[in-house]
Amino acid sequence: MRLIVWRWLAVSSLLIAALALQAETRPQYGGTLHIAVHAVPTSLDPADSLTANSFAGRNITLLMFETLVTTDDSNRVRGLLATSWQASSGNARWQFHLRHNVKFHDGTALTAEIAAASLRISNPSWKVATDGDSLVIECDGPDSELPAELAQSRNAIAKRSLDNPIGTGPFHIVDWQLGKKLTLTANEDYWRGRPFLDGIEIEMGKSFRDQLTALELGRVDLVEVALEQAHRVSLEGRRIVSSAPVELLALVFTRDAQASEERSLREALALSIDRASIRSVLLQGSGQATGGVLPNWMSGYDFVFSTDADLVRARHAREQVRTIPTWTLGYDGSDPVARLLADRIALNGKDAGLALQLTSAGTSDIRLMRIPLPSADPWIDIAEVSAICRIPPAKNKSTSIEDLYAAEQTLLTAQRIIPLFHLPVSYAAAPTLQDWNVRPDGTLTMADVWLRSSKP
Amino acid sequence: MIFRRKLLSVFALTVFFSVALIAGLVLAVTRRAFEKSEDARTAALVGQFQREFNRQGEDIARRVGATAASDPVSRMATALSGTGADSAGYFDLARSMAESNQLDFLEFVDWHGHIISSAQWPAKFGYPENGFDNLSSAAGQSAFLKQEELQDSTTLGVFAVQTSHAGEHPVYVIGGRRLDKNFLSSIDLPVGMRALLYQNRGDRFSSELVLDPSATSSALDRSRPPDKFAALVDAVRQSHQEMTAKIQWSYDQADDELFRAIPLWGAGKDRPLLGILLIGNSQRSYVELKRHIRDSALLAGGGGIVLAIILSSWVAARVTRPVEQLARAAQDVASGNWDARVEVNGHDEVSQLAESFNRMTADLLAQKERLVQAERVAAWRELARRLAHELKNPLFPLQITVENLVRSRMQSPEQFDEVFRESSRTLLAEISNLKTIIGRFSEFSKMPHPQLQAVQINEILRAVAQLFQAQLKAPGREPIECKFNLDKNLGAIAADPELLHRALSNLVLNAMDAMPSGGTLTLGSSRSGAGVIVEVSDTGTGLTPEECERIFTPYYTSKQHGTGLGLAIVQSVVSDHGGRISVRSEPGRGTTFVIELPDGSAASQESALTSDASKSIS
Repeated sequence: MRLIVWRWLAVSSLLIAALALQAETRPQYGGTLHIAVHAVPTSLDPADSLTANSFAGRNITLLMFETLVTTDDSNRVRGLLATSWQASSGNARWQFHLRHNVKFHDGTALTAEIAAASLRISNPSWKVATDGDSLVIECDGPDSELPAELAQSRNAIAKRSLDNPIGTGPFHIVDWQLGKKLTLTANEDYWRGRPFLDGIEIEMGKSFRDQLTALELGRVDLVEVALEQAHRVSLEGRRIVSSAPVELLALVFTRDAQASEERSLREALALSIDRASIRSVLLQGSGQATGGVLPNWMSGYDFVFSTDADLVRARHAREQVRTIPTWTLGYDGSDPVARLLADRIALNGKDAGLALQLTSAGTSDIRLMRIPLPSADPWIDIAEVSAICRIPPAKNKSTSIEDLYAAEQTLLTAQRIIPLFHLPVSYAAAPTLQDWNVRPDGTLTMADVWLRSSKP
Repeated sequence: MIFRRKLLSVFALTVFFSVALIAGLVLAVTRRAFEKSEDARTAALVGQFQREFNRQGEDIARRVGATAASDPVSRMATALSGTGADSAGYFDLARSMAESNQLDFLEFVDWHGHIISSAQWPAKFGYPENGFDNLSSAAGQSAFLKQEELQDSTTLGVFAVQTSHAGEHPVYVIGGRRLDKNFLSSIDLPVGMRALLYQNRGDRFSSELVLDPSATSSALDRSRPPDKFAALVDAVRQSHQEMTAKIQWSYDQADDELFRAIPLWGAGKDRPLLGILLIGNSQRSYVELKRHIRDSALLAGGGGIVLAIILSSWVAARVTRPVEQLARAAQDVASGNWDARVEVNGHDEVSQLAESFNRMTADLLAQKERLVQAERVAAWRELARRLAHELKNPLFPLQITVENLVRSRMQSPEQFDEVFRESSRTLLAEISNLKTIIGRFSEFSKMPHPQLQAVQINEILRAVAQLFQAQLKAPGREPIECKFNLDKNLGAIAADPELLHRALSNLVLNAMDAMPSGGTLTLGSSRSGAGVIVEVSDTGTGLTPEECERIFTPYYTSKQHGTGLGLAIVQSVVSDHGGRISVRSEPGRGTTFVIELPDGSAASQESALTSDASKSIS
């Protein structure tokens, strides 16, 4: 009898322990997620270029808006608001079938007309038409990358009115204090089911140092981590997650290098930059030194571009020029690392006999830029960088690695850009934040996030 | 009056030069005092700068030492002492440590001499520290001046070097502070002084390298451009010695500043010229004092001159009044007023001179009276002698004739009648002669005053010639030819025709007496200026020069039976007419008497005066 009692007690204890363990790992509804970001979006419209060109802007957009398609961790295109699509006319005509029973935050149903109007605003040059419940996009020529293009946040479907645009995403706007704070609440009628979180509060314009302090004090649950602080934060035992290198740090010239002397000077500058020291000290080991536009994980051949400084060759190239102009090197004054980077680059250039004068003003001969690569699709990124460099994008888009290399080489040969580093984006989160992840393109997956109760 | 002006000039010049001399001496003494004061103040300021430099240096050395001994730096030194240590994690350490230790400059340098971390130029990590010949020897030394290159500029600073030993190899800690406006502002400057710093960089002077802690955007500072220091700075850069120069900021001398440029040397073997301390001393107080002295001197000089003129006028008047009285008295004496006297006041030299003058004039007057008395006695004696002589001549024949009558009466009565008749004639002739003599004397004594009227002188001359026409050609004597040399255009003059006729008659008689053998008598008239010249010439025996000198003296005669009153009467008549008579003669060739008579108005005035004088005398 006593043995039976003891056995029963043991089994019961195990059962209770298993149930408790299951309760801790099972998603819980409720709670408000607090996020701090450095960026200060001026608009919540997905089509706004400033919003689309920052990771924070993209993440905020994807909380409220959804695209027709999306990409998974393997960079494969998956349906989201579109259930299926077909290409015809040699990939020049694409038809997307919309998902049924999807409603905007104001309760109106998603229709092909609303989606077409949204895409026309995002891409004024596109020819977008409707065909019943489907959208038809006609391109000027074959464009096999159109679905990947549609997966970008700037192509998210929005219903625009006089007020803020409305999306179909898991959260909708409760309060929007321009440049300060955005309060979102869960979309009860979300077509994929109500999110676990009751709401999200996003504080904007917070410095990286203040974000870490707030995380330390438990005032926020998710923060951005500055590039140079990622290593230190990880050493301190923080829960930090970084994306693949999805941002290109580069020097972009504002004018074409037409004269041979100008090309020699640009070559001298490219050869004088000591990327290794900069990565080791200023970036604290983060990022990857590069001589190309696309990161190696995307192209597979980035290692062929030399990143070593060669002062001998740099001085030789500089000696080809008699009169050395003083270039102005512009940088983002709000970026604490940008000043150091620009200063170091100017110092390296001085070693080669070049004269660079730093400026945080808007106009300059050279601009130190952080270029977020908008997509995991290399062709889209090449086109993005080409647009920034004001170089016509390559038209021969194919899956061939040779064509991709040729397109990138063409971009580099123009000497409008000197790639320096590929940088990841990093986030640190409180231990209570569950089921969040950073995709390779740097965006956060927040739809299934939930907050674990901090009480035992 | 001239004497008074001389006295005034002497007094004024004396005052002026005295004031000028005193002002010059005061200015010279003031300038010397200011120069001494400037030297003292500049030396004090240089000393204060040196003390402030040393104090800052000691403070910097202490702070750098504290930094080197701090835990973060020690941990860094420990971490880097191992092989293969990565210094990348410490590149930002210098900035935080510089902030906490209040240093403008802070660098950590590894034992290879490469910068681990730099607060002033964070991007310079990994670069060699080139500012030192030998870092290990500089460690622990006192603070020094050093030129620090920054991203976009170069600046001067006070530096110190310390080491942090945690293993085999040290980590050098180089810290410092800017030698900038704040440093210069910490120096207590006396009023009117300022300290500037020129950062010696480049080959040429640049106004942007002048640090002026007192510089603002005011109009005063805009009027004091740093370019003015170019010459002084270049001179110091070339000579490497202290120099002094006056900087003129404007046309107003009060704005001038006297600057002393003191070279500041860096550390190391070469001891480079890193900076030039410019200590300025305003000249305003000196210039204003100089102006004040000048104005005071001018005021005192002007006032002194005016006062000197007034006082010297008074003194000169007191001094020169007796002299002027003496001069006037002397002029009176010279003009014949022998009674002139000078008032005697006091007992000084001028009074003594006045007394002497008075005595002199009194003596002169007495002597004159004695002389007049003597001359009068002599004249009476001469008159008596002449009268006796003139009377003795007729008296002797009278005596002889009377004696002949008596003798004839007694000895030859028969012939008495005859003798009586002859003696009677002789007696009558001699008595007549005596009467003539007495008449001439009487005539001379009764010379009447001229009664002026319009007279044609040529007519008088012709009348005189007509009067003596018969005698000129009288039988028994050689004929005398009378000629006229008259100016027909001669007008009338104011004269007494009777007296003038008598005077010319005397001259004609003298001429006839001078030509016993005949000759030519020439009567001439002519105009001379405002008067008339009358000439009576003969071709007689002529006169000797001695006779010419004495011929107008009364009672002097060259003739045997002359009374010596003829020419005296002529001279008296001419003189009463306001004229003048002279004679020119050569023995054997004749004599010419020249009478110069004034015109009518002058003659009338003279006559009137003479008449008045005669009336007043009478």
